[in-house]
Amino acid sequence: MTIVKSDSGIYTPLLQFIMTQQWLSLGPPIAHLARHIAPASFLVMAILIQLTRTRAPCWIAHIVNKQLSSSFRRLIRRSMASDPAETTRFDFLVIGGGSGGLAGARRAAELGAATAVIESHKLGGTCVNVGCVPKKVMWNAAVHAEYLHDHGDYGFDAGNARFSWETLKAKRDNYVSHLNRIYRNNLDKAKIQTIQGHARFTSDPEPTVEVNGRKFTAPHILIATGGHPSVMSDEEVPGASLGITSDGFFELETLPKRSVIVGAGYIAVEMAGILCTLGSKTSLVIRQTGVLRNFDAYISANCTKELQNSGVDLWKNTQVKSVSKTGRGLEVTLVTKDPEKKNDEEKISTIQDVDCLLWAIGRQPNTNGLNISRGINTDERGHIVVDEFQNTSRSGIYAVGDVCGRALLTPVAIAAGRKLAHRLFEGKKDSKLDYSCIPTVVFSHPPIGTVGLTEEEAVKSRGKENVKIYKTSFTPMYHAITSRKSQCIMKLVCVGKEEKVVGLHMQGLGCDEMLQGFAVAIKMGATKADFDRTVAIHPTSSEEFVTMR
Amino acid sequence: MYFAYQINHTGKYDYDLVVIGGGSGGLACSKEAAQLGQRVAVLDFVEPSAKGTRWGLGGTCVNVGCIPKKLMHQAALLGTAVKDAKKYGWQIPGPVSHDWATMAGAVQNHVRSLNWGHRVQLQDKKVKYLNLKGSLADEHTVKGLSKAGKETVLTAKNIVIATGGRPKYPTNIPGAMEHGFTSDDIFWLKKSPGKTSEPAAAHVALECAGFLTGIGLDTTVMVRSIALRGFDQQMAGLVTDYMEAYGTRFAWKSVPKKVEKLPSGALQVTWVDGQTGSEARDTYDSVLWAVGRAPETKALGLDRLNVQLNNATGKIVVGADESTSVPNIFAFGDISEGRPELTPTAIKAGKLLARRLAGQSTELMNYDNVPTTVFTPLEYGCVGLSEEEAERRHGKDGIEVFHAFYKPLEFTVAERDASQCYIKVICERGADQKILGLHFTGPNAGEVTQGFSMGLQCGATYSHLLQTVGIHPTCAEEVVKVGITKRSGLDAAVTGC
Repeated sequence: MTIVKSDSGIYTPLLQFIMTQQWLSLGPPIAHLARHIAPASFLVMAILIQLTRTRAPCWIAHIVNKQLSSSFRRLIRRSMASDPAETTRFDFLVIGGGSGGLAGARRAAELGAATAVIESHKLGGTCVNVGCVPKKVMWNAAVHAEYLHDHGDYGFDAGNARFSWETLKAKRDNYVSHLNRIYRNNLDKAKIQTIQGHARFTSDPEPTVEVNGRKFTAPHILIATGGHPSVMSDEEVPGASLGITSDGFFELETLPKRSVIVGAGYIAVEMAGILCTLGSKTSLVIRQTGVLRNFDAYISANCTKELQNSGVDLWKNTQVKSVSKTGRGLEVTLVTKDPEKKNDEEKISTIQDVDCLLWAIGRQPNTNGLNISRGINTDERGHIVVDEFQNTSRSGIYAVGDVCGRALLTPVAIAAGRKLAHRLFEGKKDSKLDYSCIPTVVFSHPPIGTVGLTEEEAVKSRGKENVKIYKTSFTPMYHAITSRKSQCIMKLVCVGKEEKVVGLHMQGLGCDEMLQGFAVAIKMGATKADFDRTVAIHPTSSEEFVTMR
Repeated sequence: MYFAYQINHTGKYDYDLVVIGGGSGGLACSKEAAQLGQRVAVLDFVEPSAKGTRWGLGGTCVNVGCIPKKLMHQAALLGTAVKDAKKYGWQIPGPVSHDWATMAGAVQNHVRSLNWGHRVQLQDKKVKYLNLKGSLADEHTVKGLSKAGKETVLTAKNIVIATGGRPKYPTNIPGAMEHGFTSDDIFWLKKSPGKTSEPAAAHVALECAGFLTGIGLDTTVMVRSIALRGFDQQMAGLVTDYMEAYGTRFAWKSVPKKVEKLPSGALQVTWVDGQTGSEARDTYDSVLWAVGRAPETKALGLDRLNVQLNNATGKIVVGADESTSVPNIFAFGDISEGRPELTPTAIKAGKLLARRLAGQSTELMNYDNVPTTVFTPLEYGCVGLSEEEAERRHGKDGIEVFHAFYKPLEFTVAERDASQCYIKVICERGADQKILGLHFTGPNAGEVTQGFSMGLQCGATYSHLLQTVGIHPTCAEEVVKVGITKRSGLDAAVTGC
């Protein structure tokens, strides 16, 4: 194999591909051309392109053109980068190597754009490093804890099982590192340049970012910097900084004996469920009376009940007043007041010997240090404001994913990033993500699946008389012979005479894997009659959706 | 309800509807009819198996099919979970043993509670339940024979036959019936079947072999020709590959010759290895025959009434509206020719038939796009056409197959081999790329497949899949991410998120 090497030291496998695969048969003096590529790359490239246009079959010309232009630009870019005063140019510059940024970058590169990704931390972003992936690994471990309860009922003598957090963490970290490497390889394979460091927008008239003193620009710049967990400041809650967030959860080296989770959102629910199931005595502190208050009320109430059933010590109408450090851990002081009972005094309580206080009170966009004030609008919480095409208020700059604050989900960021790439580099003007009917799962115990409108939302938008609800609740067959029980609840929200299904909500064993297919059908506009027409798969829990009355 | 009863009471017959067979379909049909105001009786009688196993109301699914099978499958999954748990940081001292009696006892208790539940439901819905063996005397008369030999005669405007089928024994293998048993018996054994040989490879055989292996028994499946006939053969291969890796033994292309009981009490099975042509033998504690099922038509008196049967299968020939060759006699479920032998189709067909007979509807059962799941150790769910059938109907150039080998997240930390976790979406080629068939092997295949089967029912196309946002991290999301065509020859392994 011949590898073409230019004088500036860059391998260009693409050229090699072109020459060995296509051009040998076309007859131009390859060796001669190769010798001249580096010193006169402009001219030679032009000739090469011309040749493919005139002589090669048209599909070859297409590929060669698309890929040549990018590798061609890379050659120029590299030579320019040697001068630090110069600005390096790409077709597409992505700030943030998480789910959305990487997906957008890879798709753009596939479409022929010279692309670079700027990442200050590890590739993969929240999902891979401190989100979905390690979270689900922990959830799986917790599910095993539940299975171990059930083993006796199913005839197994599994003895006294003990859990080693250390073993699990080591394997989890290994897996995450493995994914980091895969991401790195994927970028390298796609010939996307990775720039390590923090990006900061400069005051140049043309949108430009600076990383470690070097300047980069592109006609299209994507901000996909994601977000991070919110924390309470010590001013708001004295001693708050003694606690950790979900990021810190993934650094815990041992299973906390006594945990206090603060928050009522899905992250709080998941963290509390994992810790409690794995054997940590866990308290969950919520400001009101139920968790997941933006979910359908049926789910919110059931999840609150299931948390309590599984042994989580739930503190309703409660907030953390202060945190202090003692010789045996943290002492968390709580204040409880039921707003319904106006005359009641505030009740002060303390939880002692806490070795894990975890704030799960929301997430914030990562915009600090980006210096985006110039022409890029943000909302009151700092999220970058984008239109339906992911355009920010500054031309040539786009944003996807958690930094926009809408549907904070990996697959949403990925889909939005790819759609954008198709719009920018394939000329698909209408390419944009439809944010309706996005299915989502909470890995609680048991898991929750939901897509579309809640009953409350449907009633609000369509009127109570136009909304019809179907509900069921049952004990899944798995629990037919176990002493440990959990319910499965399901709900369909239908609107109009045709009973179009606009919302599907469920919590129970297997709901995590059940949802995806139904999400396809609901996205297609399925009606209750379509559900009824579908033949069941027996015996499953999901069949209850197609046999509901 | 009472008012309706009055209107329908013509006085001419004892009942508007008599259903013979209290299985999934028969019960669904009779309850639905009663709810629509019909006067209904249902006759159910369980003829003990050749080994003497008997059970209660509810038919195959409840007693000797889906329900006990899925529960024992769950037990086997827990067996795998013990191994996985160790990788997830659980320290479990010593080897894990399994006690058949505990599991089977719990399963049998659950089945009995379901039998009772069906009795209560019939009572609640005012369906007359008769524990009698029914047969036809004439077009409107059913004779019921009690266990003690007492005969009861009922007359009905319409008669529905839903007596299902029973497992067959091979007829030409000495010792087969004497020393072996079938799926009618396995779930009701008081003692572990021990080392088991399972001649045949229909889904029942593979499911039983799967859970027996999963609870630690030495199990061999003897396959005459192919496994999972009628299913997509690439998928069938993945299912059996996984089982082989899981510990189930397969004797491929093998034909059993005889079963003998040795003085030790062990059963010696002799078979011919079709690949070498030589005879082989081994000893087992149990031989479980799963060579297929036969309809229960012989004792029904169908010949007297000229109810047309299919000569080859012995099943009742039916029309799209479940009608037989005799106008007021209907048949559906496992006993009717050409229908899928599945509980949910029987239930649905039974309900629709009841509605039509009550004059409430004209809707026919749609037997297309019936989803199903095989609960083997690696579950396999599918809906629509197999790749072979899609090719046969549309031609090799008329279909586009999207596929992916994916790795479930639960397999990664557990260090399990995921080579058989696979997704295949078969679409029409060109134009809309309408989905013709969808196949999925992996954990929770049953739960994954149901929703997608609804998509197919709604006429989903490939782009409908792509337009749906995935749910991360799940196995099901791989279905909406599937992007590599078989035709492209590209590597279909999923990498990264």
